[in-house]
Amino acid sequence: MEERNHTSAPETAKKCCCCGWGAFLVGLVVALILGWAVLPALMQKELKQPVAFNHVLHVDEQGMDCRQCHFAGPDGQFSGVPTTASCAECHSEAIGNTPEEIRFVQDYVQTGREIRSEWLVYLKQPDNVFFSHSVHSVERCSTCHTEYAENPGALCKVCHIDMSKVTTPPVYSENRLSGYPKGTMLMWDCERCHANPNHLSPATNANNACFVCHK
Amino acid sequence: MNRRGFLKFAAGGTVGLVASPIIWNTLYDAVYWSQNWGWIPRVPRGDSTYMRTISKLCPSGTGIRVRLVDGQPVRALSDPDNPLSRGALTALAAAETQLMVSPARLKEPLRRTPDGALVAISWEEAEKLLREKLAEAGGSTACISGDPTSTVNELLSSLVESRGSADFYFMPDDEQAALAAWSAMGGMGRLGYDVDNSDFILAIGANMLESWGTVARNRRNFSAGRPAGQEARVKFAYAGPVQNNTAAGADWWLPCRDGMEMELALGIAHLLIKAGHAVPSAGLDDFKALAGEYTPEKVAALTGVDAGRLAEVAKALAGAEKPLVLVGSALGAGGGAGAVMAGIAVNMLLGRVGAEGGLVNLPFPTPVVTGASDYRTVVNRNLIAWSQSVASGETEAPRVLLIYDANPLYSLPSDSGMEEVFTRSGFKVAMASFLSESCARCDLVLPAAMGLERFDDCYTPYGSGEVSWCISHPLVKPFYNSRPMGEVLISLAKELGVETGVKDMPGLLYKKAYSLGANFRKMVESGAVFQKKASGAFSVPVYNTDAIRTALTLKKEAAPLSLAPVVVLGMGTAQTGIPPFATKIITEYQLAGHSSVAQMNAATADKLGVRKGARVTVGNGKVKVPALVDIFEGVLPDAVALSAGLGHTAFDEFSRNKGSNIMTLTSITREPGTGLPVWSSAGVSVDKA
Repeated sequence: MEERNHTSAPETAKKCCCCGWGAFLVGLVVALILGWAVLPALMQKELKQPVAFNHVLHVDEQGMDCRQCHFAGPDGQFSGVPTTASCAECHSEAIGNTPEEIRFVQDYVQTGREIRSEWLVYLKQPDNVFFSHSVHSVERCSTCHTEYAENPGALCKVCHIDMSKVTTPPVYSENRLSGYPKGTMLMWDCERCHANPNHLSPATNANNACFVCHK
Repeated sequence: MNRRGFLKFAAGGTVGLVASPIIWNTLYDAVYWSQNWGWIPRVPRGDSTYMRTISKLCPSGTGIRVRLVDGQPVRALSDPDNPLSRGALTALAAAETQLMVSPARLKEPLRRTPDGALVAISWEEAEKLLREKLAEAGGSTACISGDPTSTVNELLSSLVESRGSADFYFMPDDEQAALAAWSAMGGMGRLGYDVDNSDFILAIGANMLESWGTVARNRRNFSAGRPAGQEARVKFAYAGPVQNNTAAGADWWLPCRDGMEMELALGIAHLLIKAGHAVPSAGLDDFKALAGEYTPEKVAALTGVDAGRLAEVAKALAGAEKPLVLVGSALGAGGGAGAVMAGIAVNMLLGRVGAEGGLVNLPFPTPVVTGASDYRTVVNRNLIAWSQSVASGETEAPRVLLIYDANPLYSLPSDSGMEEVFTRSGFKVAMASFLSESCARCDLVLPAAMGLERFDDCYTPYGSGEVSWCISHPLVKPFYNSRPMGEVLISLAKELGVETGVKDMPGLLYKKAYSLGANFRKMVESGAVFQKKASGAFSVPVYNTDAIRTALTLKKEAAPLSLAPVVVLGMGTAQTGIPPFATKIITEYQLAGHSSVAQMNAATADKLGVRKGARVTVGNGKVKVPALVDIFEGVLPDAVALSAGLGHTAFDEFSRNKGSNIMTLTSITREPGTGLPVWSSAGVSVDKA
């Protein structure tokens, strides 16, 4: 009877490292590696932009202003990506001899294919969110954040990747399950301002009511 | 590894996964994934274009700018370049693009089967059936149209009247009372109100900033005349039983019992005459004698309007350079001609008839379809008299009844006889875009293309101060299997051998443009609007005091309380139901859950022994509807305010079984003299449920 109720291993049994806390640690480490590195990487699909647009070349070397391509139209609608037609204002023919430019001219300018409909938007938002660039303008934000008046680009960088210093567009990483890019903002990113009582001032009136963003 | 080791490994793995972001990130991703399921509508991506047109859902044809993305209409915006609405937008016009995909949208022609169900059939079958039924019916054909501004009415009129029938009717609206009044006072055309150029407007009963008349244009005039931070150039006064948005915006609100508009106008006339304002015209002395009886004290007792406040408004009216008095009914129909006549008389006292910013005489449209009755004849026909005659058996019910863009079963009082008309008519045909109560009772339902999908027009809506004509044109192919009704009617007329003189809708509108001197092509291409000032050439009006006296003999119901309807376009029209897009602007003061809200002031509630939130029934002796009590001091004592536009039994989940239809509480009386059906004054009682 005493023998049957003995629940611990006999003293003579060999201790196995896998069956002690070592197994727990191995499981923990494997899961952490999977959870932090392997699975997140597997969830993402990496895509290249249709054209390797060189911001440095256009901004630093050619002296273009950001607003020549990224601007709000008269109706308040923001144009984030230029059309093929606007690119063709300079690139009706290849100006240089880089293979990417030649390909762009042949595949897009000469065929009329629209680059804007193929460009992968790094901050694509779901349809149930309405974001207006016109409302989040430099004029409005710089009422209090005066630094934006001197450096308007800094306001763009609050949400967007700084593209002005890249020669090749960053890889577009798309989640296989959701279909949205890695950089898509979640609601708490918006809440940083919208739930901040300081933003309820008359200058912004950035209240946190549902209907402000979810139309 | 033994079992114990495996469990420890699994435990470690679980802790590790919980401590890593993968689970939480995957949950987020799953949320985003669920938003991309195939049946969830997608916002189209592509270039935006803007097209100017008008809203055919909005009764006054508000000008809109439609945003199309990749050729698909996604949003109706205001049109600042439209000279009529000038950038104002009504709640109904704003819902124009969303309603194209409304759950209540009719998608296929429907035919009633012997077991009572409506089943989808092809257009060929539907048209053949309609053709055969009309051919069989001959002169026993009637038609009711709910869109008096459209030239499609001429096609309907020609089709019906060529069969030997004179039973083509418009749904009742305020223009019928206005036309009767204007004719009685010597007017030769349509009664118009030059709201644009007036500097003081007294609106009696007409909630002109919410639903009455050319509401978008009225609102634009209101805001333009009252620039922020500056002195108001235009003053407004409103008389009505509820402090609605029109009252809230007005400089003066005169809390006046519903149905007492005539007495109020006579009270104003009394004060004006006393102050020496009496522009002479035939019959002035007699009118002076009548107005003399309506002292401020008497008017206060009859209408509930404080004598001092009445005097204040009369003084302001007399002091204005270009004052205008307009009279209407809260429901936009069912008001008598007597009140309008009294309103015209007040304008006459001030010399405001035919003057800039005053009452104007507008010409009737000239028919362009062969065999169509003229507008005046159709407006003067009395639908209620006909339906009640059918109900009483005096008139035979038609063998074919056509319902065009109308919902008479919902929007007319229950004693209108319309229920009997529907029961007794042989074959009922609805032409509509949404499955309304009337459509649901028809034998054949034809899905109509909406305003953004068809050629149509809007000719001088009632309440205008000038002749205007706007065109709607197809921005997109009809959604689902709907068709433009104008084209269907032209084709039908052709097959029945009815000569209409037009080949298609563009041809019809071109003909109309030619008759007006408008440029059809330019109007279609650029969304331009045809406008023509009132000619002003008409006979001098007369003070028809006899007609006013006769109208004053109308017996008002003796009831403990009066019903005060609240009408806003956000509730849609009888033809549209509540637009899903507009449900956000329906407040808890109009609808609480599935129950209508009965607003009354605290004194009335005390008298009835009810409190806020109490469940009550509002009844008229025949019908009782449930409601929840809300206390609002902006309701006249002994009045109960209920929102119109609720209580639908058809349409979709956004309209059905929400509140009660206040039309069931109204009942019809005939106005002495004119014989017009009147239901604007309804007596009710409130009981604890």
